[in-house]
Amino acid sequence: MLATPISTPAKGWGRIWSRRNRYYLIAFLFVLPALINFTVFRYLPILAALRASMYQYSLLGGFGDFVGLDQYHAILSDSFFRNSLWVTLKFTIYKVPLQVLFSLILALFLARENLGTAFVRSAVFTPVVTSVIVVSVLWSMMYHSQLGLINSLLSIVGVPPQAFLSNPDRALPALTAMMIWKDVGFSMIILMAGLKGIPVVYREAAVVDGAKPWEVLWHITLPLLRRVMMFVMVTQTIFSFQVFVPVYAMTRGGPLERTKAVVYYIYQYGFLFQDMGTASAMSIVTLIILLVVSVGQMRLFRSDVSY
Amino acid sequence: MSILDNVAGNLAASTPGSSTELRRATWRGRLQMAVLIVVYVVMFLAFTIPFFWMFFGSIREEAEIFANLYPFTWKTILPIKWSLKNYLDIFGISDDGQKFGLQFQRFLGNSFLVSAGVVLSSLFFNTLAAYFFARLRFPLKNVLLVFVIATMLVPFQATIVPLYIVVDALGMANSYNGLIFPWYASPFVIFALMQFMRDIPTDLDEAAVMDGANLFHILWRVIVPLSIPGIITMALLEFQFIWNLFYWPLILISSPQLQMIQVAIATQTTQTQTFWGRTFAGSVTASLPVIVLFLFLQRYYVQGIALTGLKG
Repeated sequence: MLATPISTPAKGWGRIWSRRNRYYLIAFLFVLPALINFTVFRYLPILAALRASMYQYSLLGGFGDFVGLDQYHAILSDSFFRNSLWVTLKFTIYKVPLQVLFSLILALFLARENLGTAFVRSAVFTPVVTSVIVVSVLWSMMYHSQLGLINSLLSIVGVPPQAFLSNPDRALPALTAMMIWKDVGFSMIILMAGLKGIPVVYREAAVVDGAKPWEVLWHITLPLLRRVMMFVMVTQTIFSFQVFVPVYAMTRGGPLERTKAVVYYIYQYGFLFQDMGTASAMSIVTLIILLVVSVGQMRLFRSDVSY
Repeated sequence: MSILDNVAGNLAASTPGSSTELRRATWRGRLQMAVLIVVYVVMFLAFTIPFFWMFFGSIREEAEIFANLYPFTWKTILPIKWSLKNYLDIFGISDDGQKFGLQFQRFLGNSFLVSAGVVLSSLFFNTLAAYFFARLRFPLKNVLLVFVIATMLVPFQATIVPLYIVVDALGMANSYNGLIFPWYASPFVIFALMQFMRDIPTDLDEAAVMDGANLFHILWRVIVPLSIPGIITMALLEFQFIWNLFYWPLILISSPQLQMIQVAIATQTTQTQTFWGRTFAGSVTASLPVIVLFLFLQRYYVQGIALTGLKG
């Protein structure tokens, strides 16, 4: 209809609106909303936290004096902050290996397809789809020292009522046990997918060669599952290190600070003590720790054998 | 030992008509089968008893929950007198519920609204982005992909204070917008859908180009219909993620009128003293949508988790 700019030889708008550039522009519009989201809600917060960590900053009072690295200095010598890192580390060390072990056992028992295993699989997976807060509220009632279901169950075997969450030595193991119960189905599914991915011929060949079933398990199945198990370990370590909801709902960090995980401590500083500057500095330190852990674990991951 | 053998045997020879089938005929095989069934029952109960206790506790009188704890019998779990009072309380229908100002329908509605907003917007924008990475040509596309994938390394709970600072600065604190906007795109969903779309044969969209269809039409008419299983899976995982969200609404929302149901069960039923019956009823209400969805669409869930291996 009209003389299109394309026909005029490379000049001004004509050059920019070439067919190829127009294609690129339209293509870019497809990804632009996602890029904006990640810039604003994933990367910008880190920069904002870096800035906030160098100022006195509260939600009500806004930005105060520039303090440089003072707040980093303060938290690194804060024994409560170090305690919270220690609590978080203990939680992770208790939880991850046991969870991988239990999920492996469950996956081996439930990999076979029949009606019975389908029922049990659904049961194991129900806590995974339930929210952490429902599970935490439910278990804090189950752990109740007089009115809890667990003490009722223990009474069957003659054990007198126990305190769980108010006992400084038992609170963290009690939280860990609950979170293993909640998350074990999640890693079970991944391990089962891994089991199904192992070519049947390997196991059959071993059986033909006269290997006993447990030898097949130990020498063939488990070594071939190593990559998947590593993957579960890496992701669960990152998740576990950020435990918050059970601490908030069940113990509020007590008794005697024994369950005060680092994310809960950050929450306390930022929202209860209204000190966003210090909370930001703690977030940055935790972020760095987690980045180092994930990069380190991924290195380990990559050097692994594949089949 | 025999159980381990059996389990390992299950895996060693899972094809039908193999040695396990033969072994089942012998008495030793039957014994192993019986032991295996006991193991299955124990596993089943270990994961379901807390839920039964919660569900039946929500439809009995509160005093009954405590009255039958010792000794442990069926009465500990199952109600003798059924009662819907706890539900009437939390939905503010009974006098007791009104006295406490409980209105769980409001929190339920908020959760549905926010979930619908997040699931719909994220399906739209993540599908667009996945299509871009899977099928379109663009200079330095790999750099953009790294930019997207790297956000997976940002730990969500540990950086929630920084996220709050940004969302607050955008004026979205204490609003539905603040609950929805941060989640309209997800690197995990983009990555999973991208893998899915890469497997669709390219001659299909090449044929569409010859028809003169534009990119959006190709996506809508060719790619999306073929990606439906992947999209359903991602919608389920997104729904579960946003429905179960706790920490973010806890800090973002200050007026109770806007609060989501997961926060409400933690704050509304335990303010002065814990009302066990109401807490159970609230927990059941908050869990039912995800558990029902999961039971009906289990296959997609399991695929989705096996596919991405990650939450949300």
